[in-house]
Amino acid sequence: MAQGRVHLKGIYKRFGNFIALKHIDLDIQPVEFFALLGPSGSGKTTTLRMIAGLDTPDEGVIEVDGEDVTFAPPADRDIAMVFQNYALYPHMTVRDNIAFPLKMDKMPKAEIEPAVVRAAERVDIAHLLHRRPGQLSGGQQQRCALARAIVRQPKLFLLDEPLSNLDAQLRLQTRVELKKLQRALNVTAIYVTHDQEEAMTLADRMAVFLEGDILQVGTPDEVFNRPASIAVAAFIGSPPMNLLPATLDGDRLTVSGHSMTLPRAPQHPGGEVTMGVRPSHVRIDPQGLPTRLYLSENLGESALLNLYLGDELVKMRVASFNAGAEGETVPIAFDIDTIHLFESGSGRRIPLAGE
Amino acid sequence: MSSYRRAATRRNIVLMIVASTLLLIWVFPLLWAVIVSLKSESEVLAYPPSVFFEPTGKNYADALFGDFSILSSLWTSTIVATATTVLTIVLAVPAAYAFARLRLPAKKTMGFYTLATQMVPPVGLVIPYFLILNKVGMLDSYEGMIIVYLTFSLPFAIWLMVSYMEDIPFEMEEAAFLDKASRLQTLWHIIIPQVRGGIAVTVIFVFLNAWNEFLFAVQLGGNNVRPVTVAMYNFVSVEQTLWAKLSAAALIAMLPVVVIGIIAQKQIVKGLTVGAVKGGGRR
Amino acid sequence: MRREDGAHQGERRFALMLTAPGMLALLLTTTFPLAYLVWSSFQTINLAMPFMDGFAGVQNYVEMWHDSRYWHAMGLTGIYTFSSVALQVVIGMGLALLVMQIPAGQWIFRIVAILPIVLAPVVVGLFWRTLMLAPNFGMVDFLVQWLGFEQINWLGAPTPALISVIAIHTWQWTPFAFLVFLASLASLPGDVYEAARIDRANALQRFWHITLPLLRPAIIIVIIMRVMISLSAFAAIFAATGGGPGTASEILNLYAFKTSFVELNFGYGSALAVSLLIITMAVSGVLFYLRTPRRREAGA
Ligand SMILES: Nc1ncnc2c1ncn2[C@@H]1O[C@H](COP(=O)(O)OP(=O)(O)OP(=O)(O)O)[C@@H](O)[C@H]1O
Ligand SMILES: [Mg+2]
Repeated sequence: MAQGRVHLKGIYKRFGNFIALKHIDLDIQPVEFFALLGPSGSGKTTTLRMIAGLDTPDEGVIEVDGEDVTFAPPADRDIAMVFQNYALYPHMTVRDNIAFPLKMDKMPKAEIEPAVVRAAERVDIAHLLHRRPGQLSGGQQQRCALARAIVRQPKLFLLDEPLSNLDAQLRLQTRVELKKLQRALNVTAIYVTHDQEEAMTLADRMAVFLEGDILQVGTPDEVFNRPASIAVAAFIGSPPMNLLPATLDGDRLTVSGHSMTLPRAPQHPGGEVTMGVRPSHVRIDPQGLPTRLYLSENLGESALLNLYLGDELVKMRVASFNAGAEGETVPIAFDIDTIHLFESGSGRRIPLAGE
Repeated sequence: MSSYRRAATRRNIVLMIVASTLLLIWVFPLLWAVIVSLKSESEVLAYPPSVFFEPTGKNYADALFGDFSILSSLWTSTIVATATTVLTIVLAVPAAYAFARLRLPAKKTMGFYTLATQMVPPVGLVIPYFLILNKVGMLDSYEGMIIVYLTFSLPFAIWLMVSYMEDIPFEMEEAAFLDKASRLQTLWHIIIPQVRGGIAVTVIFVFLNAWNEFLFAVQLGGNNVRPVTVAMYNFVSVEQTLWAKLSAAALIAMLPVVVIGIIAQKQIVKGLTVGAVKGGGRR
Repeated sequence: MRREDGAHQGERRFALMLTAPGMLALLLTTTFPLAYLVWSSFQTINLAMPFMDGFAGVQNYVEMWHDSRYWHAMGLTGIYTFSSVALQVVIGMGLALLVMQIPAGQWIFRIVAILPIVLAPVVVGLFWRTLMLAPNFGMVDFLVQWLGFEQINWLGAPTPALISVIAIHTWQWTPFAFLVFLASLASLPGDVYEAARIDRANALQRFWHITLPLLRPAIIIVIIMRVMISLSAFAAIFAATGGGPGTASEILNLYAFKTSFVELNFGYGSALAVSLLIITMAVSGVLFYLRTPRRREAGA
């Protein structure tokens, strides 16, 4: 049963003079948990709203299971959605809120009540059914919105930053719940977030948005370990990887006067490139490049050193808080087999042999 | 283009047509009044009504300077409406502040009383006022008219101002107290500047209602104090109605309120919704 | 004396000082004349026959009880108020919903809606009486004949006259309801509607399950305001029909007015006005009672 395949082809959207989406292409597979990840204002919600039918693109086609639904109203799309700010019906009790989609589906009254209770139990709010949204905490409202979405068995499940208003503890807990729920319901889920950790842990695949463009589509592993461009590299990871100017000559890479040999040959003629290395892949090496310690940040389990290599800021993760004196010289080296290379001009990833 | 989109376009066109038709129902009487006011008295009587004609400004000239000139009545209306507005604001703003913000003995009773006075139908007031003013010889006087106009403007103004006063954050007054301002200074320097918008809305409503008032004006006025709403009636007599001149006079009389209405459109809508208890005042 | 009382003594005195002028003015300008009205309703005051003046006891009220014209006026007041308010709310709501839908040009409707509201009711009454409804002159009259219907004497025949004054009042005040509803609609949370669309509620269901419950407070406010205005309506009817033909459009306001100022029978006019006052107070009391939200049983 191929249900819930969403195909966006060349979606273009303008608000006045502002281009919100620049020819987006996406192919989301059935029963996939797909994340739309990107910074604020990058067009994630806009994309989701068009999939829902709450908005229409200026150009492009949206297909669900091969059928053109670009201009179809939401009611014809068989979707459930959790809104960024819940959009609960303020005048209805939690029970009526959850029951509403079923009522609109003309489900017999006798069947509604057990379905509502079941959905409420799944998100642990069965004891709150008589309350109104105004009498709920943020987390409870969020779970009410979730219950309203899962009470039906839709073809598509759309979630717009549904955890953004929860405290850290509840967020972790609900994150796990969500994933289990999606597996149990066996539906396609499209999940908007600006929190990469959320995307990494939840998604089967994800799309990285920036300024109305999709920079990369892939599994979390692909996006994290093989960022397609400087832009993605600069966004993914917390903190994201260090990006330093370097010179490439065959398989020799020179950074700040320090040369190293790459373990795998880059598929590139050589010249000016940008080298990327994650903070956790920088280490102290007495034979390495001399840097000046500018600031050290204590992150609890680890610490982050802010170092200056010439004029370039390099972040380095160290195992424990080791408050070296500011101004102190720290010699560093990079784990050579974790290095990423990008073309300086286009920003494109330079593949290494075997990629 | 998909059928969904075509349906949406069709729906928009239908909407626009229906909306425009309804618009016409509300615009037409005024529009027609303007057209009639530009016709000569003989042209006016053409039936079916003529659409093409030589426009004339004679009716306006007659209404202003002719036998039944409404010029002095316009002046009378201006005096009465302005004086009513000023007096109302002076009385209402302090009272509203006390109602909204201060500990006040018998606040509930007084609030309820103010509300109740707002409900009094004007016919219930015009009868005793006629008898009283007649007795003390104040019929057809500006003082009498302005006092009577307070009956509908003051309760309304107090309630409208209270809702604006309630919106001011408490910190403002507290900060002023810490700066050693007296209560009166606080009212004058902090509160009143904060509710300037509310005062403007109140002024507009009170002025409009006073300008448009008819019942009190026709019974308690006379040759000396004859507001323009009454003066227009000179063009309607038992023998004949001077349609075109009546239209011209009425349009001149309504020019100030229409101009105010269009300019202060936003404020009026706000007053209608904010006042909540009884916006729009008494007509 | 408790410390707190002392601390607030100054505030109370100041508050009293601020309210006193306004309250005193209200007492003198409204309560005193109303007391006078009640007093005069127990008198015989007839300016045409001053020699008859004197204390009448409840005579005026007894007469009122047996006065078929009074009960007729009362009935008309009910019909006039109920139908004009119902029409205003329904049409105003319909218009607001419609205008919310149109893609552009809402501002035109806002401007146009302001015009009837700011016009003097007496002018509205005159315009309709002459320009719209006058036989062989008014536009409505012309339109009716042009459409091939029989000519209707809008203001000269009893039933059409009543319909006309109700229509005039509705014409003038529907924009008020429209503007209030439009403002309320604009302030409703948009995402709730989107959620309802996702939940597959059609337009009618969205109106019934979402819009109407959320607009309830606005609707109630509009009804209260409009009932009060309807009950004190005078100038437009006075200008359009004068309560006629005969007594066909004579609501209580006009009856009390004509009794006093046309027949010069101020005693009886006062009694009629007192009854109107009582009705108005009672109706507003009921409406405000209904408006006060009471706790309802939550849940099923
Ligand atoms: N209705 C609108 N009118 C004008 N501009 C809009 C509208 N909706 C969105 N935009 C603009 O389009 C861009 C993308 O908006 P969108 O809501 O899709 O961002 P987002 O990726 O969901 O961001 P966030 O993480 O902050 O929710 C933003 O710059 C926003 O200002
Ligand atoms: Mg968003």
